[in-house]
Amino acid sequence: MKYAFFLGCLIPAREPNYENSIRKIAPKLDIELIEMKGANCCAPFSIQSVDHMSWLALAARNLCMAEQMGLDILTLCNDCYESLLMTNTILKEDKEKLDKVNKILADVGLEFKGKTNVKIFSDALYEDVGLEKVRKTIKNPFNELRVAVQPGCHLAKPKRIHFRQRMGPTSLDELVEATGAKSILYERKEACCGGPLRGVNDEVALHVAKQKLDSIKAAGVDCIVTVCPFCFIELDMGQLEIKRHFGEEYNLPVVSFAELLRMAMGMKLEDWEIKTHRIPITKILDMVEAK
Amino acid sequence: MHEVANTPRGQGVLACIQCGRCTSSCPVARVVNEHNPRKLMEMIILGLRSEVLGGQLPWYCLSCFTCLDRCPQGGDVGEAMFAIRNLTVKKGNIPEGIRTQARSLFETGRVVNASKMALIQREKYGLGKEPVVNIEDVQRILRKTSFDKLITKGL
Amino acid sequence: MQKEVVVVGGGISGIQASLDLANRGFKVYLVEKSPCIGGRMAQLDKTFPTMDCSMCILAPKMIECAHHPNIQLLTYSELKEIKGSVGNFKVKILKKPRYVDEKKCTGCGICAENCPAEAPNEFDENIGIRKAIYMPFPQAVPRLMVIDKDNCVECGLCDKVCPANAVDREQKPEEIKLDVGAIVVATGFDMFDPSAIPQYGYHRFKNVVTAMELERLLCASGPTEGHLIRPSDGKIPRDIAFIQCVGSRDRREWIDHSYCSSICCKYAVKDAVLIKEHEPNSRIVIFYIDMRAFGKGFQEFVNRAKSEFGIEFIRSSPGEITEDPTSNNLAIYFEDPITRTVQKFSFDLVVLCPALIPREGVKELAKILNIELDNYGFLKSEDPVKKPLDTKVPGIFACGYCLGPKTGDIPDSITQGSATATRVAVVLSLKEAS
Repeated sequence: MKYAFFLGCLIPAREPNYENSIRKIAPKLDIELIEMKGANCCAPFSIQSVDHMSWLALAARNLCMAEQMGLDILTLCNDCYESLLMTNTILKEDKEKLDKVNKILADVGLEFKGKTNVKIFSDALYEDVGLEKVRKTIKNPFNELRVAVQPGCHLAKPKRIHFRQRMGPTSLDELVEATGAKSILYERKEACCGGPLRGVNDEVALHVAKQKLDSIKAAGVDCIVTVCPFCFIELDMGQLEIKRHFGEEYNLPVVSFAELLRMAMGMKLEDWEIKTHRIPITKILDMVEAK
Repeated sequence: MHEVANTPRGQGVLACIQCGRCTSSCPVARVVNEHNPRKLMEMIILGLRSEVLGGQLPWYCLSCFTCLDRCPQGGDVGEAMFAIRNLTVKKGNIPEGIRTQARSLFETGRVVNASKMALIQREKYGLGKEPVVNIEDVQRILRKTSFDKLITKGL
Repeated sequence: MQKEVVVVGGGISGIQASLDLANRGFKVYLVEKSPCIGGRMAQLDKTFPTMDCSMCILAPKMIECAHHPNIQLLTYSELKEIKGSVGNFKVKILKKPRYVDEKKCTGCGICAENCPAEAPNEFDENIGIRKAIYMPFPQAVPRLMVIDKDNCVECGLCDKVCPANAVDREQKPEEIKLDVGAIVVATGFDMFDPSAIPQYGYHRFKNVVTAMELERLLCASGPTEGHLIRPSDGKIPRDIAFIQCVGSRDRREWIDHSYCSSICCKYAVKDAVLIKEHEPNSRIVIFYIDMRAFGKGFQEFVNRAKSEFGIEFIRSSPGEITEDPTSNNLAIYFEDPITRTVQKFSFDLVVLCPALIPREGVKELAKILNIELDNYGFLKSEDPVKKPLDTKVPGIFACGYCLGPKTGDIPDSITQGSATATRVAVVLSLKEAS
């Protein structure tokens, strides 16, 4: 399976280990990641808040690149997914907006034709690769790991675009459970981590993260598994900030879904990658070691 | 109300029946009393233009879309938040954090750029240099949409 | 041929249509899918606004149907095929085997007492159990037992203990052919499953129930003999919440019941007052978007509920419900309309008022009869203003909730039953004259 690989901004900027994990597990899943040379930022929430056409045009530029490559776009980050998916949907359905955007894109020699699809990594695994194949790659299943899966806001909302039910068993939970871990249902699983307000209103962001962590803690889990890099930072580093601000400690290690899969496939995380986790993940590493 | 309904992403405002499900679902509304999605819709419906466009309420929104998913009438309040934010930016009302990301986007093609640590890690561990953005094309697009003018307004 | 009618659906509307037709001299075949007639009204405790016992109003009509020389009850039966046209329909009814001889069974119930096999009790909305050989409810008409073969363990005990020797395991499905002049559809409603709105915790939280489940808990013939106790621990609930519009007035594509179900505000207030009368110390809150109390006496009833009974009405639709895992109490998050802040109230029991939807099986019936359904699955009238009770097929009529939400409930269904009977009589006599 070949995809136009859309890295986004945050992962190269702050979480190169996430990229590393993806690059390591992709070949095992027969996924080929083709670089999108010159791709720009997807235009996430902050940019969409500034101007509507700027968002559509910027996102469309990336979509056009993928169209020219003749491939579907694969994203890692929920915000990139939302931005590109919504743009793709709007431009495929609204002729007026499409004409406006194509007028702008003409300046840079591009035209949106609606020929590509937007996929996020976990959905691509579930839909294109298939659970069976994923299961076959697992060498070190996590048999006793209780996981709180954080799907992130834009994995399945707005529902009318995604049309899938996200409380209870979902494709992401099934993928996590393919590694042997158990996905524990907790209250307000679909709630936001607070990430989008980081840098805009840190205090509110922290309060929201605290709500999230409280409900996760109440479920009694060993760790949190994220998809979106914003969620990762907010729930990982956020725990330290919450300790400073509120005095509350959770000691819940956070790993990205890609990392979980990587470890379950029998690959070890490197030291520099382990250090990027602010809350130590020794509990999980020990489980891997024990094999 | 009709101004918002005719702004991109604002069309849901005509459907709102003020049931309050959005506010009771909003994670921020539980933390910040001022942030009340239902109240925003109410103010739009009542035509309180200066309050809506001058206030901070829309900038507390996380765009998590929980409100939107639970609204029984297709009020799309989460989308209306974007429409309001677009309108307030046109008036020069834009929080610093957003302006910083927007400027970074215009200057580098990304909302956030790699920290020194990340660059070192990339080089050291085989991920190659930071991906390059075609900044000329980005700036051409953003000049055409007057993005650059919007983010420097009010400065 | 012309003077015979099939009525599909033995609820109050179908019963009324049958009685009016029978009293005019028509021969009526009342076809009912379940083992006995009665429909939704049999499940209710009391009806608003008079607070009369529902069964007390229904039972005499059911018995009249059973004894009427012009009415033949075909229970545990379904309409499977139809040919012909108005005045001359050839209809095939499939009668499911009860495995009990209708001529011998007296409904004494000794078989059920001895039966070892259990199954969820559908009449009680799956609260509590019934036996594999059972009578759906004590006042069932016809007063016959029925064996649910899916849950029967074939032990033969019922046969051994039956004093009338009425068990007949060899019974086969029976095909009944009828020549009738007209068909009346009166299939009623089901309740939408609120699990489709996961934030309200239905099926996840034990003490979140639907209004119909509440009715069964309140009803003296129900699983708790009329004592309102909460499902998790059997304690008497003191703080009770009603949530209106769970699925109704919901335009979201995956729910898609944009309509107002029209009776939920009324029955919620009725149930609230009933509970308050029983437990004066309870605190009852109704969370609503609009309080729709139109018609004779209903607004006054709502006013009384507030002033005399102290029922609290909060104009706010809750976003979500969470559960305390130890006490199984529920917390409802809502926006307080006065302070405009998000509040959390704790309740022992939460009652959801779900949207009312067409009965299961109506789609198939519509196909057989070649009648049209609207996009919600309710029957379409030939003309909603001029001929609301006629379907597009001449000779096929409808009455009751199968046509969709109506302005009242029981009185309206009874009214429509009578009106449809008149329509049948008119159309058939015109046909005869021509």
